[in-house]
Amino acid sequence: MKQPVIFAIRNVLTISKREVTRFRSRFTGRSRLVLLTIAAICLLITYILYHQDFVLSKGLYTVGVSSNGPAITDSRFKVLPLDVERGRMMLQNKAIDIYIDPDDAICRSDQRSQYAAGALKQYLEKRELTRIASEYEISQAFPLRIEINHLQARAGDVETQTQMSLSDILGLAEAPAQSPTTAEPTELPSGAVPAPSPQPGTSSTDAAVRQQLSDFEGQNGLPEFKAEFASDKDIIVPSLMEPPIPLAQVIMAFLYVVPILFVSVFFTGSFMEEKTNRKLIILLSAPVTPFQIILGKMLPYIGYSIVVIIAVTLLLRGNVLLALPIFIPVMLFILSIYLMVALTYRTFKDQTFFSVLAVAGITAYLVAPAMFSGVSDLSYISPLTLAVQMYRGESFSLTQYFLSTAPMYLVFFLALFVGKRIFNEEYLTGFKPLYAKFGEAIYLAINRNHLHLSVFLLSLFLIPPVFMLQLSSIVVASNLPMPFALAAVLVMSVITEEIAKSSGIATLLKNKVVKSLKQILTLSFMSALGFLIGEKLLLYLALFVISESVFTTAIFSTGLLVMPLMMHFITTSMVCLMTARFGIKYYPAALIAGSVIHGLYNLYVIGAIL
Amino acid sequence: MNGFLVLLTRELRQITKEKTIMLAIIIQFFLASFSSVLLIGIMSFYDPESIGETTRIPIDVGIVGDTNSPLLGFLKEKNLRVLSFSDVGNAEAAFRSGHIDTVIFIPESNGGIVDMKLVLPELDALETVILMVLQEPLEKYENYLRETNGVELHYKDLDGRPHATYEFLYSLIVPMLMLFPAFIAGSMVVDAVAEELETKTLDTLRSAPVSLNAVFASKILAGVITCALQCIMWAVLLRLNSLFIQNIGFVLLLSIIIAASISFGAAIIALYFKDRERAQFTYSMVLIAAAGLSYFIDPSPFNLITRLATGDYYTSGYQVALYVIPLLILSVPFFTMSKKLLAAKS
Repeated sequence: MKQPVIFAIRNVLTISKREVTRFRSRFTGRSRLVLLTIAAICLLITYILYHQDFVLSKGLYTVGVSSNGPAITDSRFKVLPLDVERGRMMLQNKAIDIYIDPDDAICRSDQRSQYAAGALKQYLEKRELTRIASEYEISQAFPLRIEINHLQARAGDVETQTQMSLSDILGLAEAPAQSPTTAEPTELPSGAVPAPSPQPGTSSTDAAVRQQLSDFEGQNGLPEFKAEFASDKDIIVPSLMEPPIPLAQVIMAFLYVVPILFVSVFFTGSFMEEKTNRKLIILLSAPVTPFQIILGKMLPYIGYSIVVIIAVTLLLRGNVLLALPIFIPVMLFILSIYLMVALTYRTFKDQTFFSVLAVAGITAYLVAPAMFSGVSDLSYISPLTLAVQMYRGESFSLTQYFLSTAPMYLVFFLALFVGKRIFNEEYLTGFKPLYAKFGEAIYLAINRNHLHLSVFLLSLFLIPPVFMLQLSSIVVASNLPMPFALAAVLVMSVITEEIAKSSGIATLLKNKVVKSLKQILTLSFMSALGFLIGEKLLLYLALFVISESVFTTAIFSTGLLVMPLMMHFITTSMVCLMTARFGIKYYPAALIAGSVIHGLYNLYVIGAIL
Repeated sequence: MNGFLVLLTRELRQITKEKTIMLAIIIQFFLASFSSVLLIGIMSFYDPESIGETTRIPIDVGIVGDTNSPLLGFLKEKNLRVLSFSDVGNAEAAFRSGHIDTVIFIPESNGGIVDMKLVLPELDALETVILMVLQEPLEKYENYLRETNGVELHYKDLDGRPHATYEFLYSLIVPMLMLFPAFIAGSMVVDAVAEELETKTLDTLRSAPVSLNAVFASKILAGVITCALQCIMWAVLLRLNSLFIQNIGFVLLLSIIIAASISFGAAIIALYFKDRERAQFTYSMVLIAAAGLSYFIDPSPFNLITRLATGDYYTSGYQVALYVIPLLILSVPFFTMSKKLLAAKS
């Protein structure tokens, strides 16, 4: 009997409350005191380290300094006061890496000594800049100032009409050709930027230089968070140029994602513990559905993660209303991965190792594409790209948002659905090999009353995980030289797709639900159709972001629909028929055979395109 | 002793049976495979200036304005292709068609301040690369202008190799790779101890003719052996990538000592809390606190691995031997108090 919604919500909230109570009961009395003390120590250490000149390479180089040589306070250098003769001797014996006096430095030709010289040069140059800033006028000490401007390269016709021209930027609009000998500033139309001119004495850029100098001298702790290198009209001084961390994406991933990953230990721990002591089974006998149990257990962690997202955004002075829709799918994605880890794995060690793998995978999936933000539109695969744009005050389109987040939402809903279907005593407490657990999960996810629809939807919903796996395979393959990398990507992609399309039917064959040739062929067709629709929808979304016109029309042209459908149908039915004929033991061999045909088709298509 | 060996074999068999070693290897290869893509990224996180040193991307620079400026010479010294444009329209066309990557407007200098303009493409990563590549020639030009203003910088001619990669690899990557298995070993010990307690299998084991300490020691040793194997594997992988670790024996010994210390600490935590959830959380927090605190020790385990791996003249096995002290501090109370810890209420 179906429960009214109000009861369902009440059940979810009751389980959530129980989860919060369980969590709180974990940390009562002495254990709370112990943990609060450790947390306080962690915060204190972080605070002290943040305000320290944090150096990893402490004492890496040993420098001999003459009595009248420069004072070296950089902790990378172990400083030994030495006279010239002893300094030379110790340098030769490799007891020091470099010797320095007021005028010169002596080093060896070996790598270690050369690296020491490079590091010392960088340190002394910075020290010298501070010296000249105090001894000379700012115009003498920092005579070169550079204004940064941006212009769209390789712009399309539409953009060029609305873009500023180079002449506008250089303040030479409407001016005749700028000859190499032109020295006088050009008379400008109103609104144009004044042309820079050499000025003895002072400059309007002095204030910007003073600010940079103050930042340079007052540097302490970690660099300030900034999502962009240099904005339009920023003034930079080459010797004072301290680039902000260009890969703000990495920091963003850690600031937002790590607290969520950290608390996931409790989320998975909760399932594992209740699986072990069979409390989950007892809970199942109560008038609550598996879906309500999963959602109820997840809700407190969703709440906590939302608080983290808001707190981090406020800390970084971002837009909370934008950060929430960007990071909520990320959080749901992480929780869905951990839900699967908790429900599938059987031992604590299993869970730890797969949690580590999940952390590595999730971080890489979020960070790797976002590193190309601004370079390739494919960076929109990761929601971190949207976050980078948010911190720059730039906007993004709804399509870009969907490309970034749709796979994550889909993975979440898929995990909830599969989680609900596999939530039974036999599955949760069963101790089987990993592949058998996966097979069983797929079998349980399929509705035996609607086999065709189930297989169709299974293939359709497996698209986001397949897409994510294929992206990961590109990164893994990037370690190989080019032709091998391309081959590896093709092989991995083909095998992943064949597994996604045939796994549902293979589990049905294993459990003898499907036997006849007709059934295998119709199910293979439904699987191929589901996969093709999912594949094309994702591709459509991706290409809509990259190019709105050329590819999108091409994708839905008949040739590009019928041919792949045929190929997917042929390879899937081939894998399934071979499995039906020779038994489930030969499923891997059938997969290889199907993958070979699929691979040949891909090579044919690539050949035709090239 | 025989009982202990039986337990140790059981632990190791469990690890291999659960494919955990294989999983550890997969994780490590997975991380390693990301390294080539992310290495440059992480390096720029560590030292953004390294981008200018390591990039192989050819940068073509368009010059508008004073084409007789000494800056052109400094740009060419850096092996950049420099194209002078007498017409701004031509420069724009070249920029928009991708023939040049950046445009520099150089006003004529009569001494004093020079206000230049730099036009960059609206491409985040390329913009970073261009700015970092241009930094050195621009600094040389800045020094030239300083000299004409009568300002002299000392040590500007000091030579030396770009050091960012060297420092990054030996100060961060090598210690991280050598200590990461130790962190996993601790986590494994938490799991192994908590599992025995939660599934009540420890009670069964206690009825066997083995001491409680032998049971826990076998779990700790299994974790340490796994750590040692992973460290050896990393050293081989690094060697294959032409990254040589000097004093490799001492480096491995230190990793093993740290893994053993962490494992004893992890076992204490697991015995105190008696459930995996709290024990793993506390273990992670303690590990973070300990890693932070170790920064104030000279040399810290991280730093000691760096110094050993780079062949520092003043670092030897003596400093490694000092780390036996924390191992003793953790192991002796553990063996004497394990029963009490087990009986204690968390």
